[in-house]
Amino acid sequence: MSIGGFILRNAIRNKRRAFLSVLSVAVSLFLFVTLLVGLRELTQPPHDTGSAARIVVRNKISLGNLLPSRQKATIEKMPGVEAITPFTWFGGKFRGEEVLFGQFAVDPKVLLKVFAEARMTFEQFEAFEKDPTACIVGIKTCEKYGLKIGDFIKLQGTFWPLDLNLKLVGIYKGSIDDRNLFFNHRQLDEMPGSTGEVGTWWVKAKTLDAVAPLVQEINAAFSNTTAAVRAETEQAFQLSFISMWGNIKMLVLSICSVVVFTLVLVCASTMSMAIRERFRELAILKALGFRRRELFAFILAESFGLAATGALIGVGGASFLFNQTEIVVNASQNFLIAFEMTPRIMGQACVVAAILGIVSSIGPSLSVARMSVVQGLKTLD
Amino acid sequence: MALPIQYNIRSVLVRWRSTLSTIFGIGLVVAVYVMMQSLAIGLEQSSANTGDPRNLLLMRKGSTAETSSQVTREQFKLLQYLPGLEKDEKGEPLISADTMILITLARRGNQGEANILVRGVTKMGIYLRPQVELIQGRMFEPGRREVIVSQRLAERFEKLGIGETFKTGGHELTVVGWIDGHKSAFDSEIWMDSDDARSLFDRENYSSVLLRADPTRWNEVTNRVESDKRLPLMTISESKYYSDQTATATPIRFLGNFLATAMSIGAVFAAMNTMYASVGSRTREVGTLRVLGFRRRSILIGFLIEGAILAFIGGALGCLLALPINHYSTGTLNFQTFSEVVFEFNITLPLIIKGLVFAVTVGLIGSLFPAIRASRLPVIASLKSL
Repeated sequence: MSIGGFILRNAIRNKRRAFLSVLSVAVSLFLFVTLLVGLRELTQPPHDTGSAARIVVRNKISLGNLLPSRQKATIEKMPGVEAITPFTWFGGKFRGEEVLFGQFAVDPKVLLKVFAEARMTFEQFEAFEKDPTACIVGIKTCEKYGLKIGDFIKLQGTFWPLDLNLKLVGIYKGSIDDRNLFFNHRQLDEMPGSTGEVGTWWVKAKTLDAVAPLVQEINAAFSNTTAAVRAETEQAFQLSFISMWGNIKMLVLSICSVVVFTLVLVCASTMSMAIRERFRELAILKALGFRRRELFAFILAESFGLAATGALIGVGGASFLFNQTEIVVNASQNFLIAFEMTPRIMGQACVVAAILGIVSSIGPSLSVARMSVVQGLKTLD
Repeated sequence: MALPIQYNIRSVLVRWRSTLSTIFGIGLVVAVYVMMQSLAIGLEQSSANTGDPRNLLLMRKGSTAETSSQVTREQFKLLQYLPGLEKDEKGEPLISADTMILITLARRGNQGEANILVRGVTKMGIYLRPQVELIQGRMFEPGRREVIVSQRLAERFEKLGIGETFKTGGHELTVVGWIDGHKSAFDSEIWMDSDDARSLFDRENYSSVLLRADPTRWNEVTNRVESDKRLPLMTISESKYYSDQTATATPIRFLGNFLATAMSIGAVFAAMNTMYASVGSRTREVGTLRVLGFRRRSILIGFLIEGAILAFIGGALGCLLALPINHYSTGTLNFQTFSEVVFEFNITLPLIIKGLVFAVTVGLIGSLFPAIRASRLPVIASLKSL
């Protein structure tokens, strides 16, 4: 029997135990990667190619305060600005309930310039531009609610004292978040009693180099007006959104460490159980002339193998579940968008598994090292 | 019957080394479960705690939170003459118009920023919210850009100490006092004068109106508001408005349950492992018990109890591990108001009992198959085994 075969036979000698150990490692690692993927989803918004050149301008007091529409003319004239659109959150109820998809009032004429990623046919874009009561909706929301072109979408305003009846003229896909609804900002501008305010401005810079000076210029331009603004890159804007979650990141990370700790505990105890059972055999091996080093290698290989198998099942299963199927995204009712496993997270899980294999072999190795051959041979259990 | 139970209980203690890791494993699972649930409970309680049962809140029809509501000054004037409105000793009607503004403030220790709710409030509004107590400093004076802030917020955000000044937009506000909302939603707010807030933040209108009326006459008030075309408002009891804001706790509960389920599967495997090993090393003892006349059922129950005790100790340990976090104050985003809500981990007795029941369930499931195996061991063979 080769040494590899010897280790393998030993590992699966107690099939039930090997099975249970592998499964508990697999479940724990699955949990570990799920938490990391979830944390990534919440803290690192998926950003697309165009986002680096986009600037978000919001009221300095907070996002909950609006901006006067007169600011558009000032920003438009600045050098380096390719396009600017108002971007106002509507937050209406759809079919009587609060919904997860965002509804934004924008300027249809420049929408395509600012968000170049979204894919839609030219005719649909034209229809959206022409009809002020038109709207376009992402494909995911359309699928969820069974919407097709030509349908009317009624939105009941919660933040705005206005109800909308929008005609669906286009369905886009291929953007980073195919859930949102966009409609013409004129709907809000022409609302009775409107004071002409917008939620945020989204500005597209001509080049990436123009972004930083533009941010400064916009901030300075309104600093002494009644509506001071804060301009920042889209990414910084998204990050400030995330920091509102508060201590969630710390919470998830501490849970991760608890999971890892539990994992080490379980694995280590299984390994020591397995070794204690075979004390006598190990003593025989020692008596036969195997060195300590070799015995360590046997133990290490076995526990490493158990951990690796667990990692394969747990991490592999998770990556199949998250990346190949859309079960999680659908189960969250599209609250989560991507929920994807990255090589980085996979690597982290593998490192944890490797550490697990090594750490859990330490205890048994020590007791084997300490044991004298005679004592080991006497052991009955 | 009594002997196997005692035997099994002692076994738990005698083989402490092999069982310790299982106990720890279960303990950690229970600790995570209790912590997550106590977070959700604390969050829910902070909303459930808020509001006076005699108060009615009025908001613009269709709005879902005070922050998105608007009440004009004309509407507020009309509301002064509602039927059933209670009056104070001076004969003033108990009604107040509030202005809600969201401002962005920096967290302490470079932890990013969050939206905070600023409530512009009148004297009457303070009177209508007896839950809120000024614990340090003094009340703000209208017209001087002074604010009072919740002590819990001050602990979490920069520049909210008494005497300190913070900037929002182009305006500077001075903190003159700290308030304690007694674990209500007001613990997440900054208060200032209502008209100051309107002028400072350029608001034409108030956000919401709070009034006190005899609950038996609420229908009358509601009918009156609904029937008046000049009042596009809706009425809701103040307590109900806040208790409806518990949706924020749903994802936390979901996460907690998901974690508990996934981790408990791992814990069941671990417990099974330990119990199988424990049964395996005691084959002879089990055989002896059978020879002595104990029934299979007794052996089965004995091992189940052993597993349950093991898990119970783990559960108790888990609760102890979770306990230090009790009353720890933390904050997250409230989706309805789009602002930071400050709340405490709250470990309640029912939660501890739930945690223990959860642990024992894990122990029972984990020891079921090993116990069945033990009870089915052939007597003679097991006696012979080493």
